Amino acid sequence: MKIHVDVLRRYTPLPDSLRQVRLLLDDLGLEVKRLNVDGHLTLELLANRGDHHCYEGLAREITGRTGEALTTPPVATLTLGEPPWPLRLETDLCLVYTATLLERVGEAAGQLDEAQLAPLRAAGLASVLAPVDATNLSNLELGQPTHVFDADTLVGAVTIRLSRPGERAWPLFTAEPVAVPEGTLVIADDVKILAIAGVIGCEESKTTASTRRILLESATFDPVKVRIASRALGIHTDSTARFERGSDPARPLIGAGRVVQLLEGTGAWRRVGDTGQVGAWVNPERVVSLSVAAAGRFFGMPLPGEQVVEILGRLGYIAHLSPDDGDTVTAYVPTWRLWDVEYADDLYEDLARSIGYNNTPVALPPVDMGALPSAAETRRHQIDGLLQSFGFYEVFTDGFYGRALIENLGLPEAHPLRAHVQTENALDRAYSLLKASCFPQAVELVALNQRVKNEQVKAYEWTRTFHPAPQHSLPSGRLSAPCTERRVLWCVASGTDRPRAWLDKSRPADLFFLKGVVEELAVALGLNLQLGPAQASAPLADVLHPARQASVLLNGAVIGVVGEVHPSVLKGFKVRKLRPVYLELDEDTLLAAQSQAVGFEEPSELHPIDRSLAFSLPPKVEAGLVSETLRAAGPPSLIRVSVVDLFEHEDGGVPTRTFTYALTFQTTKGQALSADEVNAACEAMIAAVESGEPGARGVRLRR
Amino acid sequence: MNRPDTQAMFAAFTAALAEATTLEQIEAVRQAHTGKKSEIKLALRGLGAVPAEDRPAVAKEVNDVAQTMERALSEASAAIEARALAARLSEEWVDLSLPGLAPPRGARHPVISVEEDCLAVLRQLGFVRVDGPEVEHPYYNFDALNIPPHHPARDMQDTFWVDGGYLLRSHTTTVQARVLESRPPLPIRVASAGRVYRNEAVDATHLAMFHQLEGLWIDRGLTFAHLKGLLTTIAQSLYGRRPVRFKPKFYPYTEPSVGVDLQCGVCEGEGEVSGAACEACHGAGWVTILGAGMVHPKVFREFGYDPNEVSGIAFGLGTTRMASQRVGVSKVALLYGQDLRVHTRLHRSGV
Repeated sequence: MKIHVDVLRRYTPLPDSLRQVRLLLDDLGLEVKRLNVDGHLTLELLANRGDHHCYEGLAREITGRTGEALTTPPVATLTLGEPPWPLRLETDLCLVYTATLLERVGEAAGQLDEAQLAPLRAAGLASVLAPVDATNLSNLELGQPTHVFDADTLVGAVTIRLSRPGERAWPLFTAEPVAVPEGTLVIADDVKILAIAGVIGCEESKTTASTRRILLESATFDPVKVRIASRALGIHTDSTARFERGSDPARPLIGAGRVVQLLEGTGAWRRVGDTGQVGAWVNPERVVSLSVAAAGRFFGMPLPGEQVVEILGRLGYIAHLSPDDGDTVTAYVPTWRLWDVEYADDLYEDLARSIGYNNTPVALPPVDMGALPSAAETRRHQIDGLLQSFGFYEVFTDGFYGRALIENLGLPEAHPLRAHVQTENALDRAYSLLKASCFPQAVELVALNQRVKNEQVKAYEWTRTFHPAPQHSLPSGRLSAPCTERRVLWCVASGTDRPRAWLDKSRPADLFFLKGVVEELAVALGLNLQLGPAQASAPLADVLHPARQASVLLNGAVIGVVGEVHPSVLKGFKVRKLRPVYLELDEDTLLAAQSQAVGFEEPSELHPIDRSLAFSLPPKVEAGLVSETLRAAGPPSLIRVSVVDLFEHEDGGVPTRTFTYALTFQTTKGQALSADEVNAACEAMIAAVESGEPGARGVRLRR
Repeated sequence: MNRPDTQAMFAAFTAALAEATTLEQIEAVRQAHTGKKSEIKLALRGLGAVPAEDRPAVAKEVNDVAQTMERALSEASAAIEARALAARLSEEWVDLSLPGLAPPRGARHPVISVEEDCLAVLRQLGFVRVDGPEVEHPYYNFDALNIPPHHPARDMQDTFWVDGGYLLRSHTTTVQARVLESRPPLPIRVASAGRVYRNEAVDATHLAMFHQLEGLWIDRGLTFAHLKGLLTTIAQSLYGRRPVRFKPKFYPYTEPSVGVDLQCGVCEGEGEVSGAACEACHGAGWVTILGAGMVHPKVFREFGYDPNEVSGIAFGLGTTRMASQRVGVSKVALLYGQDLRVHTRLHRSGV
């Protein structure tokens, strides 16, 4: 709400300096979002306090704190009687509706003076015509929206009713009539809709410079109905803002009286007959009680009953302290607060506001003991630290994406990665699908970074994917969620394993880089994590390079996948030259897995004996097969077999890889190994390779 | 036997040693002048032929010369080694203007760093982290939290609705609702952190997905004073002992509701810097850091608690906004983008 401090001063005294005014308003929950040195203020008001949306409401809140007098603008006293126009109320969603007829006295339409228009100017509203200005002022000053119809455009009775199927209305400031949803609360005459109740008037009955007679409407409508209409039509006005928060049902006559007072003050308008009223609203006289002692305990300070009564009185309550127990305060809720005051806690808030939130005691609740991070949180921190040590940055991707992104994968409609839960009302098409996989966003991340000339990509995220699931009834009667949520950790890497440097020792951030990450995770977390054969049925199998992907196994069970992004996917995302690699792990399994105890063996003081063997492998024979065979055939003293060199060459025209395997034998006290024994062991291991499965697949010792 | 001419031996040794400039040459001098076939060694071996009455003196003389030679050889070797070492060290100069070569680390997301800081403070107060679904039933997002259909408060959290009548949670308060529904024993001290979603137009400062952290403390006898004490502790643990102020707010699930402001660290509460409105706080002198309140009696009743028996403190921290303030990036969309240059610069600013 936009106001001017000088207008507010008409209602109640304020501090002299703007800064002090700001601090006071902030302290009352009338938060100043913008302050101009000329006294214009933009306020952010509380969503539940419709009564704050006017100068009188603001001033009343201020007087509740300061105890100063509240001065309200003059209001003409309207006399209820025979309606000046036929009125018909067909719904109880209009609590009260009043109509007052005014006619122009002479030719002039009248003009409000600048002092009167000040609230309008402060709100950024233009002065239009005296009748329109007066209705706007009534809302700004007293919080009662009103509307004026050109009475000479009305046909028959004014009816407050719900709209009918297929009805149309022509709201003000729109180019043409629009369809009105059936059941919308409207004001209509016998042939047309005159206004969407509480939202906006209509073109065909609007007041113009030539209008001779106006029918002044002032009413209270059901807030929910106003709100639904406003949202359905996409029209939000100052009236809506007031009505949808619950307007004061006792205020229509006061609001109309302010309009009449302003218009009659111009000398250009006068009332015709009495004011008509329809509506069965009766003040329910809501009573809320509180215990002064309980309130004192709540605030941690003594709170005399008389003070409570006095504060509530300043805020418009009629409050009494029980003479019987001296503790119970009974408060009649003012009509402008009927929509938000229900419990003693609501009164506590009013008391706190009046006393000042910063003027009540402060005490830390008793704390018995702190808490450590859970095991899962601790493990997550470990993983974070390890990934960051490899140069990965944590990123966030949205929980949704658009169809365009998934199309880049080039998958058929029936593919599991295309099974999505959909958003129903996303403002942006890029948010139409809840993500079923992090993979497309990971590739998009690489593409984005390549577009900005950054090919060094190492990113990871802890996130969730959403997978459609059939809904069923829960014990609560509600339906189960339309999806399951799977927590995942994903990483993507491209470029080199470290940034290019002046002494370049980098190598590609390829599948072996990510495999190394998995292996280091296994070590750091004490988990039996290994790579295993890729699963053709895995959803990601089709978007990863078919010969460069693997399952990630925990104790033999699949918990994730690692692989190089499929070239056709890269083409779909317009990623050129780079060959990014992707790792995805199931978060819940990873964080819950039990660490294995580390079996510590004290290092021997005796020197180990090293040997190396080179084996030539035909294409597609795994180097690990040879390693495993060597290990299996080696003596107990063989403590390590590692691949330390690769030589790629052709052997008889066949591409061949020759690997050097470093073997380490460890002697122990009392079990010294001789060179002959080691050599004999090596011969046995060579024989095992050449006569076993490796040999059968063409592996030979390179002598 | 003639008395050995140790002076001549020493003179020859000294002359030879003076010519030696390498360890190899010194070794040659050693062999020639103190080796098995050297004159001094021959003299030592021939001492038996010296008359008995002269032998002690001659032996001493020869031994002294031999030892002197050995010392001289050692000193000469040491001097050459020292010179060689000095020369090598000088040659091994490296250009330290070149960058280091340790693999650079990555970094945690700034929002998660803030989240962890908050959780660290809360853990000291006995809070444990709990989590809940992101695709949520509207009951937990709204109705259970005293936000009935068509309530204006629902506008505060424009919602993404998804298939099956569910929604993407618009706040992490949903987790609090689920905790209350499970009726754990008192006291309840839980914190929930994570992603939330708002269906609004996205720009540099507004996101469809961002992060929140919320806390809930339920027990008997918690008061408004406790609310203020807890929030002051949290605020000052995170930001230092800057003044804190409370102001009325509206959240449907708390009553009374409060906003917590921290005195602006730039203008120190004055609202202006050098006569102009402080940009950090838009002239307010204060910066809002969290929202909170006493749990609304309707929320308690919804889950079968008697609000006359128990009370509760609920609070929420906008971790996205806090991170934005911490790293000085007002366009939060940058923090949620995937341009790794942003993350690198945030982590390695000035490097």
